[in-house]
Amino acid sequence: MRETTVDNKKDNRFEILKELLLTDDRQKFESLRDQFLEKDKIRENINPVVDEKIDDLKANFPEHFGDQITESIKVQIRESQDEVVEALYPIMGKLVKKFIIAEITKLTESINQTINDKFSLTQILKRLFKGKRTDADDVLQEVFEPIIEEVFVIGEKTGLLIGSYSRGNIADKDMVSGMLTAIKSFAEDAFKKEGQDLEDIKFETFQLSMVNYNSIYIATATSGVITSEFKEELSDNLNTLAEKILRDRTYLNDENKLNKLIEDILILD
Amino acid sequence: MIAKKVLLIGSFGVGKTSLVRRFVLNEFSENYISTIGVRISTKTVAIEDEEVKLMIWDVAGTSEEENVPKAYFLGSSAAMYVFDLSREETYLNLDKEIESIKNLSGLDEVIIVGNKRDLLSDDEIFEIRKIVPVTIDFITSAKENANVEGAFNLLTQQSLK
Repeated sequence: MRETTVDNKKDNRFEILKELLLTDDRQKFESLRDQFLEKDKIRENINPVVDEKIDDLKANFPEHFGDQITESIKVQIRESQDEVVEALYPIMGKLVKKFIIAEITKLTESINQTINDKFSLTQILKRLFKGKRTDADDVLQEVFEPIIEEVFVIGEKTGLLIGSYSRGNIADKDMVSGMLTAIKSFAEDAFKKEGQDLEDIKFETFQLSMVNYNSIYIATATSGVITSEFKEELSDNLNTLAEKILRDRTYLNDENKLNKLIEDILILD
Repeated sequence: MIAKKVLLIGSFGVGKTSLVRRFVLNEFSENYISTIGVRISTKTVAIEDEEVKLMIWDVAGTSEEENVPKAYFLGSSAAMYVFDLSREETYLNLDKEIESIKNLSGLDEVIIVGNKRDLLSDDEIFEIRKIVPVTIDFITSAKENANVEGAFNLLTQQSLK
């Protein structure tokens, strides 16, 4: 028999040796391969769910985390008030400054205009013939001219609106009349001032005045600086209005007729 | 259009405001809002070819017990007293309450309404009718919108008398 270059005995031994030495490695390899394939499988299954979740988070982030973020920001602001103030102060300061400058410019222009008018030749001549009023009164009167914004003629006990005039857009005048009557009754009752009535309510640039007559009362809302002269004139006009209404009771049942009378006496006069 | 002031009276929490809400806005809020003193709502109702603007004064309690200004009761054309069917203390002294309202408002009649019928069975309501010292005109539920329209229609009719 011809001899080959392969020594079978030797080769077999090598194979056996290989088997003996690499069994552990092969098992580890198998296990790693299984794990890898398993991960691929899991990934395949999980990926769509994760994508869906990510899309949901993108679309509904405020719903999922809005409250927590708001709370966290609140806590952050609360705990770092000094830093927040420091950061906002320059911006707010500039805004406030800008607003004040704009308002003062408007006021200055208005005062200048009034002073120019007041010191014109015609006005100087007029002043020679006028009474007690000072120039300061005149300037104030013109810059902050009092304006009658709203008038309500209201049933004294019922609180029902009988007639009105409005410069603004009060949505439900009936409700306002009712509430005014309730507030008036409440104040008069709370302070137990029998025979005395609530006459004025002041808020910011508005003054609400209520004058009582027999079976009705008239509420007027006025803006601007209310001088004693304006008050006297308004009081006279209100008395005239009430007198006309109470002399001719048809006004109490005809809202349009009464509204016209209010406008004629209090607004156009 | 005729305008009338009408009163809605009853203790705290009997459901007056819910009744007004159901009538005026036709909705019911689950939130409990207690009434402080008086709350005024307006609603225009068409009745017998006549449009009536109702100014509803929702008053908490009567003057003597709850220190409500007497003036709230003046000048009203009709009144509805509401009590809570599920709370005995709101109807046990009903006759005295009604007398007091009549004295304060000058009205001859007051409509009596038992509210919150959704909380009681028919048998329980039957028993309450026997205990209450005056005739109940309407058993209502603001929550289920039962008889609310009817009660306010009667109030409107009475305001026109």
